Amino acid sequence: MSRQALRGAAVSVLAVVVALAASLVVIALTGVPLDKAAAAMWDGVFGSPAQFGATLTKFVPLVLAAVGWVIAIRAGRLNVGLEGQILAGGTASAAVGLYLTGLPTVIHLPLAVLAGAVGGAALGAVAAWLWARRGVNDFIATLLLTFIVTQLVSWLANGPMEEPTGTLGQSAPVADTARWPILIPRTTLRADILLVIVLVLAVAYMLRRTVVGYRLRLTGANPAAAQATGTRTQLIGVGALCASAAIAGVAGSSLVVASPAGNLAPGFSANYGFDGIVVALLARNSPLGCIPAALLLAALRQGGGLLEARLGISNGLVTATQAVVILLVTGTAWYAERRRPRRRTAGSSEVPAPVAEGARS
Amino acid sequence: MNPFDIALFAAAIRLSVPLLLAALGELVSERAGVINIGLEGMMLAGAYAAFLAAWATGSVGLGLAAGIVVGVLLAVVMAFVSVTLRGDQIVVGVALNLLAAGVTMFLYRLQFQGTQPTTVRMETYPVPLLSDIPVVGPVVFNQLPLVYLAYVIGPVVAYLLYRTQLGLRIRSAGEKPEVLDATGCDVVRVQWGAVLTAGAFAGLGGAFLSVGQVGLFAEHMTAGRGFLALAAVVFGQWRPYGVIAACAVFGFTDALQLRLQSMGEVPREVWIALAVVGVLIAGFGALRARRSGSPLRWVLLGAVLCIVVGVLGAVLVPGFALPSQFWLSLPYVLSLVALASASRRVRAPAMIGLPLPARN
Repeated sequence: MSRQALRGAAVSVLAVVVALAASLVVIALTGVPLDKAAAAMWDGVFGSPAQFGATLTKFVPLVLAAVGWVIAIRAGRLNVGLEGQILAGGTASAAVGLYLTGLPTVIHLPLAVLAGAVGGAALGAVAAWLWARRGVNDFIATLLLTFIVTQLVSWLANGPMEEPTGTLGQSAPVADTARWPILIPRTTLRADILLVIVLVLAVAYMLRRTVVGYRLRLTGANPAAAQATGTRTQLIGVGALCASAAIAGVAGSSLVVASPAGNLAPGFSANYGFDGIVVALLARNSPLGCIPAALLLAALRQGGGLLEARLGISNGLVTATQAVVILLVTGTAWYAERRRPRRRTAGSSEVPAPVAEGARS
Repeated sequence: MNPFDIALFAAAIRLSVPLLLAALGELVSERAGVINIGLEGMMLAGAYAAFLAAWATGSVGLGLAAGIVVGVLLAVVMAFVSVTLRGDQIVVGVALNLLAAGVTMFLYRLQFQGTQPTTVRMETYPVPLLSDIPVVGPVVFNQLPLVYLAYVIGPVVAYLLYRTQLGLRIRSAGEKPEVLDATGCDVVRVQWGAVLTAGAFAGLGGAFLSVGQVGLFAEHMTAGRGFLALAAVVFGQWRPYGVIAACAVFGFTDALQLRLQSMGEVPREVWIALAVVGVLIAGFGALRARRSGSPLRWVLLGAVLCIVVGVLGAVLVPGFALPSQFWLSLPYVLSLVALASASRRVRAPAMIGLPLPARN
């Protein structure tokens, strides 16, 4: 590891330690004994195979969303709409699982996952088109699309795709042939985690060892240089947004066809899209770093659940802890990135040159 | 049954106020080059602080003040991390949303243990004489005092941005900070001021939700209004009067949606109104296109769609019920369409989302 990578990792670890210490202080202030709180956290994460399985189940969408963010940010694009792309992907996946019946698992399940990727990518493509052709900021486009999709999914789950009795406000479970097999018996962990690990490795390899990955990183680091050396930066930006959205779509697919209920419910992505940004930040936008970072946040989510159930300490504390981690990591970015050309400075990354010229003339 | 009555329009104005307050602050901040995704969090925190202060003291005024203070406090975090330390604005905003959601939920549950106490709330203040005007009076001049204030602040912000030196500085900070720096003005300070303004307004907007309107607090009670305010700035194309109009439109769709939900079906009047809106869009679009050269085809497409849907709806399906989700997503659709169809001259301030250039 280079010195910078080491320094970045150290900052991330420190940020987590500080944030956790702060939340311990808060817990102590509420009068709950710390040893009980720690025990609840520990039991929540490692207490039983079921608990640990649940932690890993939460790890899946987190790491995918994070890797999605990484692909986009490495190309200089901000994909704030991961949450919407997760919803779009999950809905597409649910549609395939619900309506394409009678297929064997070997065909049906891959189709459902693929539909998730396509659904996510489709939403990403809309944002990419707005960005590339209409000069709309990528983060504004992706964010606004998220709110539109949220309503759309809520409508689908309460209307056209609702289960036959029409009272629950969610869809019927998808066909068994479209669901991931359970990996560890008596847990919620399903085999999609294997696909996820492969995906993360593939993205890491793509970014590091392929020409496309190199051009993508170059576009993010220095668009002018990228353009001068023959990279079509706008194409890279569009591709990065779509790929990022496709991965978020796979996360959405997992949240439907690998969930215990296996159906489409409004808001089935409980903020995973935004938490994925936290993971990517902790990992300093390294795809491999997303794995430990996502494990940590998944453990926080899972342990926080038991903390609330057993000791009545509201889940809000976990959310706030995450926020403190982000603030600490973002606030110290200048330190960790010292002696490296700044990735996003004025005039170098906002819009690729041709659009920028058009937009500013 | 005609849904377009006095109550509907009065509700539309009232519902637009929290949006308007937050959006005006956000406008100043974005014109200075700092986009504040954390608006939702600031509103939520403001709503909670206002509720808490009013609950503890029984005073609406103190509640509003507390809302402003907490909004500013969050803005200090925003400004320190994103302006001074040059961290990513978007990411800091996401963090503030998480922070506010987490902290308010944690404290509210800790303190009230699942009960939902109510507290004092603001009384309506009918403006003397003016509120006696038929139709307009009860709609516009029989509102909460904060409503008048919000609509007065709008033109003030417009004046500030376009007619004062400070406004020029704010706008330059968002377009070309190097130039502003060269004139000897401290860009960091300008951006700090703009971000704190956004925080104060967002906090007040949140306070309006809890203490102003209902006198209670609920977890996630802002329900996306901060993001709606962000969309209003976009829809208003980063201009004060555009933002005011955008908030009025969003407030109206919100009021209409609430009303239609209680009615169960879309009455014929709504379809007719839609057709009328289509005609109006076409008229204004043609007028503006001739002046500014923005592409007319988008405006026309939207107008024709409105007219066709409106006429068809009025003739064929008077009893058709649109899902509430349609109305809830409408502001975001409108904002994106407005952005996508706008001419190239309409765009976000150049520095939005970017840290200030390093000074070596």
